Amino acid sequence: MKAIRYLILLSIALVAGVLIYFQQQPQPAEQRVLGGSIGGDFTLMSADGPVSLSDFRGQPVVIYIGYTYCPDVCPMALAVLGQALRNMPDDQSEQIQGIFISVDPERDSLEHLKNYAAFFSPQIIGVTGEKSEIDQVVKQYGAFYRKVEMRNSAMEYAVDHSSRLYLIDREGQLAALVSHNATPDQLMHNLQQLLEH
Amino acid sequence: MRKLFVASALLFSSLTFACEDVIIENAFARAVPPGQPNSAAFMTLDNHGHHDASLVSASSSVAEVTELHTHTDVDGVMQMRQIDTIEIPAGQQTHLQPGGLHVMLIGLKQNLADGDQIDLTLTFADGSEKALEIPVRHAMPMGHTH
Repeated sequence: MKAIRYLILLSIALVAGVLIYFQQQPQPAEQRVLGGSIGGDFTLMSADGPVSLSDFRGQPVVIYIGYTYCPDVCPMALAVLGQALRNMPDDQSEQIQGIFISVDPERDSLEHLKNYAAFFSPQIIGVTGEKSEIDQVVKQYGAFYRKVEMRNSAMEYAVDHSSRLYLIDREGQLAALVSHNATPDQLMHNLQQLLEH
Repeated sequence: MRKLFVASALLFSSLTFACEDVIIENAFARAVPPGQPNSAAFMTLDNHGHHDASLVSASSSVAEVTELHTHTDVDGVMQMRQIDTIEIPAGQQTHLQPGGLHVMLIGLKQNLADGDQIDLTLTFADGSEKALEIPVRHAMPMGHTH
C-alpha cells in the first residue's frame, strides 16, 4: 500500500517536472506565428528614405528578418529569393518586392544594408530602424530575435533569430511562411501563386 | 637489421598525422557583398584513417580572425555559437555546410567575389596542418550552387 502511495507521488512529481520543463521551452516560431493574426504595415528606414510595406500595395512582397553579420541562413534565404526572382520571367519577377529587415542596426548601416540587399537581387531593399521600431515589427510578424554575447569571439555578439520568408499578398496581408531551406523553385512556385491573385 | 626495418615501418605507420588521414572535399568560401566584413568557409572533411581527428583552428590571409562556429536551429530560432573543435571520427565524414558547422572568416581584408581563390590553413588537434586553396562562390542551401 505504501509502495503504491510512493508510486503515485513519484508520478505526480514526474508529470509536474515534465510540465515545468515544457513551459520553460521557447515556443516554436510556427506556433507563435499561427497563434493570432500576424503581419501588418510598418515603416522603417532605408538608405534612400523611409519605406513602408503599404508603399507596395498591389504588389506581392517578400520580407526576411535577419542581420548581415549572419554567416549562413540570412545570405542563404536572400540567395534563394534572388535566384527564385531570376528564375521567373521578367514580367513576373518585376512585380515582386523583397524587403530585408535588419535587427542589428548597431552594425548594419543603411548604406551597407543597401549594398548587401542589392547583392542578392536589385529587387531587394534593406531597411532597419530604432530598436523600438524593430521590436514592433518583429512582434507584429511573430518573429523572434535576441542579442547573444559571444565571449572570446571576435564577433563580440551574435543575434539569435527566427528565419522565415514572409510572403505578403497584393493587399498587404501575410499569405505564407517559407523556410530559408526552400529551393528557389519552391519559392518561385509560391510567388507565382501570389501573382495569380 | 630487418627487425629494425620492420619496427621502424610499424612505428611510422602508426604515426600518420591527421592532415594525411583527412581528405578535404568541396571546400569553398561564400561570396559576399562588397564591404561585408565577414564570410564563412564550408567543406566536407573525410577521415580515411584509423584515428579520430579534430579540427582545432583555421587561418586565412584574407581575414583578421578565423573561428570555428556552429549554427543550430532551436525551435525555428537560428543560433550561432563559437566552438573549440570540430570532430572527424575515424572512417567518417563531417560536413561543414550552410546552416550548420562552418569556418567563420571575420574582418575580411578583401572583397570575396564569385570566382576568386583564397588560402585556408586547417590545424588539427595533433598539431598537423593542411594548407588549402579554395574557391569563392555563391552558396545555396543543400548543395545547390550557382
